[in-house]
Amino acid sequence: MTTPHVQTDTQEISHPFSSLIKMRDIWKTYQMGTEELHALKKVSFDVTKGEYVAIIGPSGSGKSTLMNLIGCLDTPTKGEYWINGEQVADMTDDELARIRNKEIGFVFQTFNLLSRATALHNVELPLIYAGISSTDRHEKAIAALESVELGDRVTHKPNELSGGQRQRVAIARALVNQPSILLADEPTGALDTTTSSEIMNLFERLHAANNTIIVVTHEMEVAERAERIIMIRDGEIESDKKTR
Amino acid sequence: MTFDDIRESAVMAFSTLRANKLRSALTILGVTVGVLTVLSMVSIIQGLNRSFADQIESLGSNTIFVNKFEPSFSPQKTQEELQRKELTIADAEAIARESEAIAAVAPFERKLSETVRFKDKQTETPIILGVVPEHSYTMSQFVAEGRFLIDVDIRERRNVAVIGRDVVNALFLEYEQPIGKDIKIAGNVFRVIGIMEDQGSFFGQSRDNSIYIPLTTFQKYYPEVVFPDFVFVIIVRPKTRADVANAMADITDTLRRRRGDRVGEPNSFGISSQDALLDVYNQLTGATYLVLTAISAVALMIGGIGVMNIMLVSVTERTKEIGIRKAVGATRLSIMSQFLIEAVVLTGIGGLFGLIIGEIVSVLINTYSPLPAFIPIWAILVAIVVSGGVGVVFGLYPAWKAARLDPIEALRFE
Repeated sequence: MTTPHVQTDTQEISHPFSSLIKMRDIWKTYQMGTEELHALKKVSFDVTKGEYVAIIGPSGSGKSTLMNLIGCLDTPTKGEYWINGEQVADMTDDELARIRNKEIGFVFQTFNLLSRATALHNVELPLIYAGISSTDRHEKAIAALESVELGDRVTHKPNELSGGQRQRVAIARALVNQPSILLADEPTGALDTTTSSEIMNLFERLHAANNTIIVVTHEMEVAERAERIIMIRDGEIESDKKTR
Repeated sequence: MTFDDIRESAVMAFSTLRANKLRSALTILGVTVGVLTVLSMVSIIQGLNRSFADQIESLGSNTIFVNKFEPSFSPQKTQEELQRKELTIADAEAIARESEAIAAVAPFERKLSETVRFKDKQTETPIILGVVPEHSYTMSQFVAEGRFLIDVDIRERRNVAVIGRDVVNALFLEYEQPIGKDIKIAGNVFRVIGIMEDQGSFFGQSRDNSIYIPLTTFQKYYPEVVFPDFVFVIIVRPKTRADVANAMADITDTLRRRRGDRVGEPNSFGISSQDALLDVYNQLTGATYLVLTAISAVALMIGGIGVMNIMLVSVTERTKEIGIRKAVGATRLSIMSQFLIEAVVLTGIGGLFGLIIGEIVSVLINTYSPLPAFIPIWAILVAIVVSGGVGVVFGLYPAWKAARLDPIEALRFE
């Protein structure tokens, strides 16, 4: 775990599949009338398995665009992106859906749980789309909820749970399909201080259990819990350094 | 798409329906009305068909009817038809005389209702038929007790009557023997000589509420034939089924000559075999089918538009949900099938209700109205397929719209 993480586009790509995430010269450009707006410019970085990375930047810096790209919700205008050895930059919508299902576990600021479904059903959702049988699904979902200490809340609906509990359901959902990356977007943005630190502690535990975690945030406090911080400004990586 | 996918979709569909009870109920109602319309139409037509086929069967298969009017089910007659000369007993006799292909000729005249009394009992509804002895043979209607009219009754213009079961029930007590009793028809005394076999009902109208008297006696009391109360018809029975065409040609020749119809002009009378009657009936029902199908289609379409409308609302409301599902790995097909299944669940429930209510209505129609109704098994299948089909057709666009939502936009939706 000693390879340098700062990469520039002049560097040779020696082992394309050695990293979990490998981004090379990624551009995202939006056409605004006659003007071209570059949300991301020549972004390149790697994330290896088991890393805990924070992506930080002010609003409008392009960090949401980067998160959407990492999460395979969107494709870059230009550049190459390998995730777990698969080139995803040119994939179709349905191929991206498969990658999201298999490789990515999302945790959102606003939890994004299905309000009418129970905690259990919410956690089962990725397994349904993975085509896993209902008995296996049930077992795995229960196990995931137990791992976030919600084993006694499986039949509760989101509106019967506290904010922290909802975020833990969302984390259980993100982990249930054993994805390569846990991708969290402002995971504590909607939580109070106590609950926030509870969630951040949970992330640390998950990291200790060798999960790869990427947290996108604008709060330095949250970012500093990670072992590496990538700073984005004006669509470019401003800095990429280890915290410890 | 796996069974689990479908089950997941169905579970979500029911949960959505529960979450929007009134809205779902109204949408389902629309489809229910559509399916109910289809079933009612099928039911009525099938009922009519069955009833009519029975009727035709009971008449035997090769009877020819000659009438002043063209064969038609409409009570509306043209001015020309109304001004035509009446057919006469002499015409009937000429027909019998001049054709080799004919086994029997039976003219009859009918009055729709007449007052009939026995002692202190009275009924105003019986149909009075002035007939000849051959009537029994040509119409395949026979006496159950006593005797039918014979030649001498006709010749002597006797006041004798053969009565139907309904007339017996209306005028006589259970233990009374009607035969040999004197009844009063419009004030004139007739002796009952026979009772007809039960013939059941047709279009809810009993065929046992008739009184048969000699045609000559009938014409003595009712010299004028006034449409529509009175009708004069000549029934002809050809020797065999193969003789129907020849018999019709002979009858046409005889009558055109006797009535002075000019060459090149159409007949001034109507002639029809049962086959022709069936043709007319089939034409009529064919047109009716078309109209009823159109009505059903419109009703279903309104139901379908309701479904589409509600599914579009549902897709918009659940944009966030679609975003979440896509984020965790739902493909376009998964989303599309979810919303399609939801639409089909909606219309399926509507179809089911339509079917249940349709069956009930059909039973009610049979019980409380003269219209015969009948829902065949295939109509049940049609109802199921059609309601499901409406769901697919009208659910397709909303489902497609849901499937192609951009996950980022959808997740941002509040």
